[in-house]
Amino acid sequence: MRRNALVAAMFAAATTVTSQTQAPSSTERDTIPGTLVTFEMVAVPRGTVTAGAKTVTVEPFQIGRTEVTWDMYDVFALGLDGLKDQGADAVSRPSQPYGAPDYGWGHAGYAAISIARPAAEAFCEWLSKKTGKTYRLPTEAEWMHVAALAAGPVPLTPDRRDNLAWHRGNSLGKAHLVGTKQPDALGLFDLFGNAAEWVNASDDSFVTRGGSFRDPPERIGPEARATQESSWNERDPQLPKSRWWLSDGPFVGFRLVRAQ
Amino acid sequence: MTDNKIDAVSRRTFMQTTAAATAAFVLPGAHAAGSDAIRVGVIGTGGRGTGAAANVVESSPGIEIVALGDLMPDRLGQCREQLSKLSKEDPKFAAAVKVTDERCFTGFDAFKKVLASDIDYVILATPPGFRPAHLTAAVEAGKNIFTEKPVAVDAAGIRSVLATYEAAQKKGLAIGVGTQRRHQDLYLAAVKRVQDGAIGDVMSGQVFWNQGGLWNRDRQKNWTDVEWQLRNWLYFTWLSGDHIVEQHVHNIDVANWFIGAHPVRAIAVGGRQWRIDPKYGHIYDHFGVDFEYPNGSRVLSMCRQIDGTRTRIGESFIGARGSLELQDQGIADIRGPNAWKWQKPEKPISPYVQEHTDLVASIRAGKPYNELKQVAESTLSAILGREAAYTGQELTWDEVLNAQQDLMPPRIEFGPLETPAVPTPGRTKLARRWNDA
Repeated sequence: MRRNALVAAMFAAATTVTSQTQAPSSTERDTIPGTLVTFEMVAVPRGTVTAGAKTVTVEPFQIGRTEVTWDMYDVFALGLDGLKDQGADAVSRPSQPYGAPDYGWGHAGYAAISIARPAAEAFCEWLSKKTGKTYRLPTEAEWMHVAALAAGPVPLTPDRRDNLAWHRGNSLGKAHLVGTKQPDALGLFDLFGNAAEWVNASDDSFVTRGGSFRDPPERIGPEARATQESSWNERDPQLPKSRWWLSDGPFVGFRLVRAQ
Repeated sequence: MTDNKIDAVSRRTFMQTTAAATAAFVLPGAHAAGSDAIRVGVIGTGGRGTGAAANVVESSPGIEIVALGDLMPDRLGQCREQLSKLSKEDPKFAAAVKVTDERCFTGFDAFKKVLASDIDYVILATPPGFRPAHLTAAVEAGKNIFTEKPVAVDAAGIRSVLATYEAAQKKGLAIGVGTQRRHQDLYLAAVKRVQDGAIGDVMSGQVFWNQGGLWNRDRQKNWTDVEWQLRNWLYFTWLSGDHIVEQHVHNIDVANWFIGAHPVRAIAVGGRQWRIDPKYGHIYDHFGVDFEYPNGSRVLSMCRQIDGTRTRIGESFIGARGSLELQDQGIADIRGPNAWKWQKPEKPISPYVQEHTDLVASIRAGKPYNELKQVAESTLSAILGREAAYTGQELTWDEVLNAQQDLMPPRIEFGPLETPAVPTPGRTKLARRWNDA
């Protein structure tokens, strides 16, 4: 983790974010068809993100107000839409884990954690097929743009971090119910801390942003960045290791983006 | 495929011949005291056997994987594929993986051929029902052994394994077992504190493995009953011992370890409430057991495999002067006057690697250790809990250990085999054969 922290620090130092800041914009409520499960998507305006020498323009999109919860993920993983074993269902579903991916900390209303990157992508693909809309992981530039809007112009003081985020100093080492800290400047919950969130990095490496409940407070926030390492599924005793679950990644979850 | 059947009578035959074999002292592998390469064979090359093969390579220098055996050619092929993938990615594996076509064996007698290969160290990772016979054969062949848990599924199997333990002791063989918490840093730190009296005498404990359901393989048209049962071995007591034995044995093993004894008596409840489709064989989906230990300590054991239910995996102990909470994910926490918390290291060591590191080191130091008795006792503890639930009776350790219970079908070959009945408390008998109701 130390090496990654260093990489994150270098990345952050070379990055200036020039996103527009504006008041929280409109929120829509989406439903997983055939279920009572709903989730909120928040509109994100166009902006630019500068990382190193490169400036990227980010087009408007919608982002999940919370991290994807178990309520949402279980419909996919456990086939609660009643379609799991049917041929018409083209997206393969997660294997049954040997153990407890939620670590026994809580389930309903909690962020889905221990989710491997391909599983997060498969969830997006499944949800897109199911709804006819396009859901995906945020690109890293999109996440950075959102993070800048979420942090706003006010510095992330220790007090503000504590109000916004579950981190090592206040989490008791566990993931928490989403939406139980204050919303950020964009109206999102838990963008920093709680579960670190998968993003689609430009070099396709497996990157999370934002930091998690396990990171010290100074290592969560818009700059926090980590790349998957072998310790994230150390205790998976099978070979090949699960492509769906990270046996030692209870700090990893994800957030949806919906293209406009 | 050669020799397509196994004669289950051979389990008893093995037991008899073991006694004879132990009369002659056999050197426990040529490399016991040196630093020469340890040549490894794997019996049962599914996901866990393949994982264990990788773990032993990672554990120590001078390891060679030389022979593989599995009943199913496809499972053997997948293992070779994984090992060759690792060899391309990692020079350590490129040097260690020396599997050739001539040393890959399939069929019911594959284990004999692996043992007949020039190996020093065998990994046993087939479904547990076959373990007693494989352990006997491996000890007869004079191999050091890493065996997965559990080591048996019934009373007859346990008696066989206890005899094998004695035979292995006489031969000075090293036997490590896949109850990896015994080699995990946080458990070792905690058990030392408990043994030093940090929480006083252990009065009671609670051990849990509550999770969702597990994998199931859809039956293919060309599968016989036996192939279907073998490929879904979790769901048949003759193969897995039921989930209390197959999975929850880990936590029951921790209870025995921290209390320093095995239970003497149990009552239990259990049932098959949610996982009732015939594709899930005949096992239960939940158990609750009250174990009584020789010093009067009591341990509640709870295990469940039902989707959508609250999960909990771990152990806790209440002592005369404090309490201890344990979870293999990284929690060891003593409360009371000697309060203490485990601090997870920056770079955790996989207990699945450490268990081989320790075993290999013991072989190379010429001080082989043998964990077979302790895991046989933990396995029998889980069987005791299972049988108390299946029969609905209060049962003692000795009753179960000595029971006329043999759950292995008499002859296993690819062909028809009925699914045994779901056990019914109040009706199911402790003394029974594989298909008795």
